[in-house]
Amino acid sequence: MREARKQATRRRVLDAARELFEEVGYESATIREIAGRAGVSVGSVFTGFCSKAHILSEVMQERLGALYGDLERVAPHLRGSTADRCRSMFAVHYAFEFQRLHLFLAYVAAGFDWRADPDLPTMGANPRLRGMVRDCLAEGVRRGDVRPDVDVELVVDLLVGVYAWNYRQAAAQPARPEQLTDIFDRQVGVIFGGLAPG
Amino acid sequence: MNQIPIGGLSAVADAEKPTRRAQAKRRTREKIVAAAKSLFAERGYEASTIRDIAKTAGMSTGAVFASFTDKADLFTEIAEAEQAELHQTMQLAAAGLSGRAAITAMLGAACERQTAELALVQAVMSALWTPGLAERARRRLERRPVTTLIAAAVRQAFPEADDLDTTFVAEMIWDGYLATLRRAAFGGLTAPVVKARIEAGARTILAGAQPG
Repeated sequence: MREARKQATRRRVLDAARELFEEVGYESATIREIAGRAGVSVGSVFTGFCSKAHILSEVMQERLGALYGDLERVAPHLRGSTADRCRSMFAVHYAFEFQRLHLFLAYVAAGFDWRADPDLPTMGANPRLRGMVRDCLAEGVRRGDVRPDVDVELVVDLLVGVYAWNYRQAAAQPARPEQLTDIFDRQVGVIFGGLAPG
Repeated sequence: MNQIPIGGLSAVADAEKPTRRAQAKRRTREKIVAAAKSLFAERGYEASTIRDIAKTAGMSTGAVFASFTDKADLFTEIAEAEQAELHQTMQLAAAGLSGRAAITAMLGAACERQTAELALVQAVMSALWTPGLAERARRRLERRPVTTLIAAAVRQAFPEADDLDTTFVAEMIWDGYLATLRRAAFGGLTAPVVKARIEAGARTILAGAQPG
């Protein structure tokens, strides 16, 4: 019973925080406001979370968890060249993150925050995304459109890096997800151009 | 083209002969900037208040506001100075080189400089992504000067490829650079490893940019 109540509080805090971060921005949202919107006391927010960064981290874990669940099911069935399959996976990301763009930008900003609690997962590290891209590259080697001596970790870094930095355009001015997808598609062309066998 | 002759700076300073008051004003600004730099690096942009900065600099909040309009203004000045120095570091590293050699030298020099001051670099990156930072600050912090240097070297690397979008390739090289640099902070990679991976990333991009 007590456990159930704890879970209910947690659920309300995460929902309230997700809405507030998107509406007023992560930096301006206070724990007090989150508690107010969730209809719980400030003290009970701190029972479940140690900081605002912790709440942001959990909000994003949850969002991304759902996305990756879907993507991992779809990924094996994607068609086309390895480059195209990569493009599809990241296009899904752009479309998804644009639904809550402010939240995502706050998450990236926090990803550079070296003062974050060391017990929290590193924000922006996205091990599941990296894992999917890694699998996609390995599959490309098997299919023969990616050279066998590819430095997989390096290419994952490059792809995830250009994917994320493209958002700076959206941080500076209003943008549509298709604009970033178009840029990313070209970038993938360059990266995979260097990975062709022979 | 944009190079400032090494002896040129002191010559300009002599010609201006600043008044005592102007000198005092400049010293105050320098003190504030030094205090803010250490606080931003230590706590990050959001957590550093003007009050703390003033306290660290040993002056009143009013004195800080006499020199800078707000925290964003102060932060932008620091970030801009960092960027100008980074630009100069890269330009010096590429002196006498061209094409791929220039790119490698520039990225290597940038990496050495930025891994040595990661905390400040991270504070700048984090602030750049923070939607709250004033739009004018963001405009002042565009990274164009650095990518322009790289784009010029990309052009030299592919002199025949008239239709190659060198800016696009240069931006990608810099994205790769920043992504790898970020891993220096979180991935526990040592500076030499980071440098080697940055070079390898640029090689991969250049290999793919190779027309035909």
